[in-house]
Amino acid sequence: MFRLPFLFIITGLISFTLFQLFSLFDFATWLTVFGDEPRYPTGWFRVHLLVLGWATMIAMGAMYQLIPVVLQNHRLFSEKLGFVHYGFFAVGTAGLLFGFQSMQVMWIAGFATVAFIGVLLFAINIGVTLIRARKWNTITVSVACSVAYLVLAGTSGMLMGLNFYFEQWGDFHEQLLGAHICFAAFGWFGLLITGFSYKMLPMFYLSHGHSETLQKVVIACWNAGVLVGALSFLFNGPGWVKWSGLLLVVLAMLTYSFHLSQIVKHRHKPNPGVGMKWSLSLAHSLTLIGIIIVIISPFTPDIMAQSRMAVVLGWLYLWGWVGLTLLSYLSKIVPFLWWTHKYGPLIGKKKIPTMSDLIDDRRVHIGLSVIGTSLFMLMVGLSWNQPWMTSIGGSLLSLSSLFYISLIANVFTK
Amino acid sequence: MDSITECLKEVYDPELGVNIVDLGLIYDIQFAAGNVSVVMTLTTPGCPMHDMIVGGVKRALQTLPEVLSVEVDVVWEPAWAPTLMSDEAKEHLGYM
Repeated sequence: MFRLPFLFIITGLISFTLFQLFSLFDFATWLTVFGDEPRYPTGWFRVHLLVLGWATMIAMGAMYQLIPVVLQNHRLFSEKLGFVHYGFFAVGTAGLLFGFQSMQVMWIAGFATVAFIGVLLFAINIGVTLIRARKWNTITVSVACSVAYLVLAGTSGMLMGLNFYFEQWGDFHEQLLGAHICFAAFGWFGLLITGFSYKMLPMFYLSHGHSETLQKVVIACWNAGVLVGALSFLFNGPGWVKWSGLLLVVLAMLTYSFHLSQIVKHRHKPNPGVGMKWSLSLAHSLTLIGIIIVIISPFTPDIMAQSRMAVVLGWLYLWGWVGLTLLSYLSKIVPFLWWTHKYGPLIGKKKIPTMSDLIDDRRVHIGLSVIGTSLFMLMVGLSWNQPWMTSIGGSLLSLSSLFYISLIANVFTK
Repeated sequence: MDSITECLKEVYDPELGVNIVDLGLIYDIQFAAGNVSVVMTLTTPGCPMHDMIVGGVKRALQTLPEVLSVEVDVVWEPAWAPTLMSDEAKEHLGYM
């Protein structure tokens, strides 16, 4: 299977390029506005272009590619349904993005529903594949939970979209928004990345003999954290309940980080590739930041309640961990996808390149380093409300991201 | 039999850059009346290269004039362990 994951991944790369070009054209000034007031049409448009058009599109493609691998060559339930899913999700996302940018509530409501149908078709395809394969382990359970959270994120998102048009819920819209962010950011992306890393890291480090017990602790804590957080938003719970949700996710992160170290300790290949090393460092960094936030947030409730702080922390999580981890993984996923398509049938016939020949690891490292540095500048600019630094950091982030993504896209020419 | 082993050394794991013989993936080879039967494993169950490596083994062996048919059986018991790698493979991976 090549065409289906390829379609999602190439669409994701195009969305990512568009996002960076839009940002570059306005010298990233939209981020300064976003820092002051995140809820405005261009802000919605840009965030959803990144989260739906890029990250979710890439994640769906990677899942179609990796699920048969994780299930030991068990076929996907329906490749055809995957293409139908693509149609609904791509059209729905495009229409929704247009609706956000032009603030046409009819478009938002209508295309949020179309995108949600795409999400449901995806969930059915993956769900039936998992149920039929009956290979339940920490990876498949993580994947199943992440897809369930995507459906919940889609449900809450679609309801918000409909509420834009019908305006029947008043303040409940805010509560839905909190739950929507919890389900999408922590549930969908969090469990997807952690779940797949249990396969990716041992595979590229050639790790053997490590215990998998902590993976179960991560799944339990992460799910508990997402549910406590989402329900506390949904039912307008007190601040300490929201903090408890955060604490649970950070505990999961801490356990996850420790478990990744166990995997590395049992490695038989010192160099798994730069992408894997980066994903490891990012997980450890996020854990450290999470611990600091959990400790200081009870003492600084006013600062934590500011929308600027929500933007900084949200951007740090979404760009700093989810985004950079996806970019790191792409340096492995795309060569694998292209190699299996182009060179796989030639194994044993003639001398062919290895996967590492398809991408220059040194350039991957440079690209990710510059992206990381630019992101740091952007975070400083946003945190201290320095528009010039936000613009320079944001523009550098876009430039380095374009360089990096061209490196990934170049694999398809090898 | 030597020619079969040498032929299998042309089949590489594309991620590790090591051939499947030196990786210790080949458990048994039987050759009788032009029919080759290979019992092998992979470094991990659910290896993404499963179909390609098995296909590679078949294609490589079918290039030998004395081979009429090839049968490949992938097994998970005994599980592959890094100790099965040759010294060359360990050195290549920087494991030694």
